[in-house]
Amino acid sequence: MLTRRRLQALRLRHAQRSIPSRYQRRQINHFISKEADPVPPIPAQRTPFTLAVKDNITTKFSPATTTCASPFLADYNSPFEATIVQQLRDLGAVVTGKTNLDEFGMGSHSVHSAHGAVSQEKDGYSAGGSSGGSAVAVANGEVDLALGTDTGGSVRLPAAYCGVVGYKPSYGMLSRFGVVPYANSLDTVGLIAKGVGRIREVVVRRGLWEVEDGRDPTSLGRKARRRIAQGREGYGGEDVELEGVRLGLPVEYNIEELEGGVRDAWVKAAGRLEERGAKVVPVSLPTTRHALSAYYVIAPAEASSNLAKYDGVRYGRRSEGESDAAEGGVLYAASRGQGFGEEVKRRILLGSYTLSSEAMDNYFLKAQAVRRLVRRDFDRVFRLENPLQDEQETFDLSEMSEEIPMENKLGPAEVDFLLCPTAPTLAPKLEDVMGGQGVLDAYMNDVFAVPASLAGLPAVSVPMLVEGEERMAGLQLIGQYWDDARLLGVAEAISEVLGGKR
Amino acid sequence: MPRIPTSELSRYLLAGQLSRRGCLRASRICLQPVANFQTRRFASVETQSTSVPPTPLRKQLKEQAKALKASGQKKKKNIDNQTVPGWELTVGIEIHAQLNTVRKLFSPATTSFNDSPNTHVALFDLAIPGSQPLFQPETLIPAVRAALALNCDIQRVSRFDRKHYFHWDQPSGYQITQYYEPFAKDGRIGLLARDGIAAEDGESIAVGIKQVQMEQDTAKTTAQPGEAHWLDFNRVGMPLIEIITLPEIHHPATAAALVRKVQMMLSAVDACVSGMEEGGLRADVNVSVRRVDDTSGKLGTRTEIKNLSSFKAVEDAIIAERDRQIAVLEAGGVVEGETRGWSIGSTETRRLRGKEGEVDYRYMPDPDLGPVVIDPQLVQRLASSSGVSPDVETDQLIEKYGLTAKDAISLLALDGGARVQYYYNVLDALSELGAETDAIVTILAANWCLHELGKLTEVSSDLGMTADGECKVPSRDLAALLHHLCRREITAKVAKELLWAIFRGEVAPGGVTEAIKDNNLWFNELSKAEYEALADRAVEGEDKVLGEFLRFADGKSKAYPRGKLMFLVGKMMRAGPEHRMDPTSAERVMSTRIDDIYLDALGNKQ
Repeated sequence: MLTRRRLQALRLRHAQRSIPSRYQRRQINHFISKEADPVPPIPAQRTPFTLAVKDNITTKFSPATTTCASPFLADYNSPFEATIVQQLRDLGAVVTGKTNLDEFGMGSHSVHSAHGAVSQEKDGYSAGGSSGGSAVAVANGEVDLALGTDTGGSVRLPAAYCGVVGYKPSYGMLSRFGVVPYANSLDTVGLIAKGVGRIREVVVRRGLWEVEDGRDPTSLGRKARRRIAQGREGYGGEDVELEGVRLGLPVEYNIEELEGGVRDAWVKAAGRLEERGAKVVPVSLPTTRHALSAYYVIAPAEASSNLAKYDGVRYGRRSEGESDAAEGGVLYAASRGQGFGEEVKRRILLGSYTLSSEAMDNYFLKAQAVRRLVRRDFDRVFRLENPLQDEQETFDLSEMSEEIPMENKLGPAEVDFLLCPTAPTLAPKLEDVMGGQGVLDAYMNDVFAVPASLAGLPAVSVPMLVEGEERMAGLQLIGQYWDDARLLGVAEAISEVLGGKR
Repeated sequence: MPRIPTSELSRYLLAGQLSRRGCLRASRICLQPVANFQTRRFASVETQSTSVPPTPLRKQLKEQAKALKASGQKKKKNIDNQTVPGWELTVGIEIHAQLNTVRKLFSPATTSFNDSPNTHVALFDLAIPGSQPLFQPETLIPAVRAALALNCDIQRVSRFDRKHYFHWDQPSGYQITQYYEPFAKDGRIGLLARDGIAAEDGESIAVGIKQVQMEQDTAKTTAQPGEAHWLDFNRVGMPLIEIITLPEIHHPATAAALVRKVQMMLSAVDACVSGMEEGGLRADVNVSVRRVDDTSGKLGTRTEIKNLSSFKAVEDAIIAERDRQIAVLEAGGVVEGETRGWSIGSTETRRLRGKEGEVDYRYMPDPDLGPVVIDPQLVQRLASSSGVSPDVETDQLIEKYGLTAKDAISLLALDGGARVQYYYNVLDALSELGAETDAIVTILAANWCLHELGKLTEVSSDLGMTADGECKVPSRDLAALLHHLCRREITAKVAKELLWAIFRGEVAPGGVTEAIKDNNLWFNELSKAEYEALADRAVEGEDKVLGEFLRFADGKSKAYPRGKLMFLVGKMMRAGPEHRMDPTSAERVMSTRIDDIYLDALGNKQ
């Protein structure tokens, strides 16, 4: 429980967030609450490992608060613990703290937090967002594994910026019960570690992929998990060879905003993988350019709905003095206006608008149509079928842009994985983010991350060196639905080739 | 026919007129000599008003007749209320009914009525961050039954949407409902004259059902003194169905009849727990008016009146809102599309506080909930097991048992359908006792099941009626009672007193006959000679009254002076031992003796 004074301080910091203080810039500020005396795992035979939990995933004890970096939940103690935290505790996790994030997971740089911005330790680079605290905790070696949430890249982007591995599972694989929702149809629980191996250990070898959670209605049923896995490789935990794996390079990802260094690193990495026997082919994902817009319609719409419960009555504080609950007035407006941060308010407004009866058809429904096209793009290029589709769709050539070379339209394009950068740039300086960058610049960071989120596909970001800069960027590998085991296996092999940690 | 209050009826009877079998309210009056009667009568008047002088009977009767006429006129006025010349009313109704289920719609918390507040609440019901909805498939069974009863097409695939608005009784800030794809569509409900539709709608009318959707209930708010409101989250998330009719109703009485009929149909298929009286059913009405000569074909701007909790409120609120809208339009104003409220007993609707000003519910498919797929086999199964429809059953009660439509519908409506089951149980027990179940018996039994049983609960607790039609008065015991009554082995008065005794548990189950025997309650009727002696005494000094009969016998007056006869019978009854007398026998004896003896005697005198 926070004291009232601390609460006030949080509010103050929240309000002043847009003007970074010297104090904030010196702090890396990646933990919201830290456990002085972590509770050891109960099954003693397990090899314990340390775990940091993003503060929008509920924990019942050690630490007891779950703030979502929002003043509304500054002193919130959840009456229950998220399934994923329980599962990891059972596997030997020792929770050491709750990590900082963008309020309710909305942001790309972990700056929109009631606890102040997160920064990377060296040189004050952006940690990425929204799971920035978790990525920094891993990058600093403070924990073995960190939990994040990935709605539109919120695990992969900070992993890429911080030079660690970030994994977003297939939608419906890891339980969301206990994850405070941002956009339910996109939210996934993600894992961050220094190497792919630890993530693969937990998800594949220790069988998290298999476990259905009856408390999460979007958790895939046990039978379906098994059935789909039968058509997939890698769930035995065996090593995966790069030899013969077909990697597709989406031509639409070579965008104007892509930094030269990152592009070079991407192409170079593809070349090195080809040397190791992988087959690299260009593919076309024509809907990519609409995906980002669709994401920023759908996610805020769901967010505006999910955040309606924070009204100052049950959560947060009722704003004093300005209660206008009189005849014709509204009870919650003042409290909500004061309680939420700027970015959250922006998305609530955006979402409320796109769901309004006059805008619904032009925004929300169109965005859902784009979402289906994005999924179809992926299904068209993957060699494996999408088990969530009843029948295989046929694709009409006329629907594709004329700029796309014919050979790409027709295939050979069936591939095992897509290989692309996680973000178009290296981590920017936090100063630049908080000073001059506009809102849309921040949204732009998600451009390569959101397509996989919209389609519910598994994706992993592994670090790759950007030569000349001597800094790390993220290389993203995207797989067909429920191909998580092979995806992690190949990612591990790729990391080895690129010289990363196993 | 307006029902005469029983207090008035008993006063009327005690004031010197005859008591008819089956009409006298059970009351403990011990038989006393005639001399004492006057005082008793005053005493009973005094309960009404302390200083009213005794009113002559004749005057009293006249006044009552006048009052009756007056109330009749009032009734007529109500019928006129159904239309306003020059204007057409259009009404659509949304009925919210609580489904008869064990669990809430999206959480395994149990449903409850009047349990301790906030004892059946799951994480999701309170919208605790990180909790998720878990659809409870069992809730589909009563929902589909209800939709089938309303002749709807059950949709194979339906979905849940979020309807957003801020209110303290809704923790998540949205209600989960089925807006875009409801589970049932395109139904129809038939209403007959006997269901109480407006006379203007003729013998029958069909009203279309647009859709039936499943949705969550909100928390229950209890206003406390001062500004406080208490919330009971037991109700939040309870499964409801919302039944939306097409705007095809044009008369207030028909709207009320529709709601009543829906309630009856839902309880007949066991889809709902309770009716309007218990708060298990609520109605919102959409009301608009337009001029009869309006040729645009468009309906007027409609207003919605929320949360009507009785059939009368539905009718009254529609009348009030229609009249308000007409007044606004006739004054050159514009009807605003808004939400209005109605309190019972008021004469006008009132504007409710806007929830967010102009409400845009921002419907959005719930991203946590998958589609609901209803197997056609389930629909078939439920359709074949849903039993007789209330309309068919009403017809049976009228045709087979000779009941009036009103009594038949009341029997079906009471106790959520259990009362009619009780009635059948009584009839079964009667035929086991060897009673002839002809119309006299079936109608008598219905009267007792409805009215006499109803009186028990006027002053005491409920009947404890179970779904299979048993209550604190076992059906076998009531049958035994009625059997004795039919065979004139006990009087109606004794039967009624025994009914109370059974209700209070003073008669052991199956012990009706024993109780009659032990307390010596058998009807030991006066002999013919004894009746005749009483008749002779009654006519003493009544030559003027007998003169009326003579005038009739001589053809000088057209109508038989029945009133006079009853006056004389009443005198007889008061003079004799009431517990040994049957008014019918007394009347027969009196009538015969007037014709055979008294008139001759009178003629001789003159």
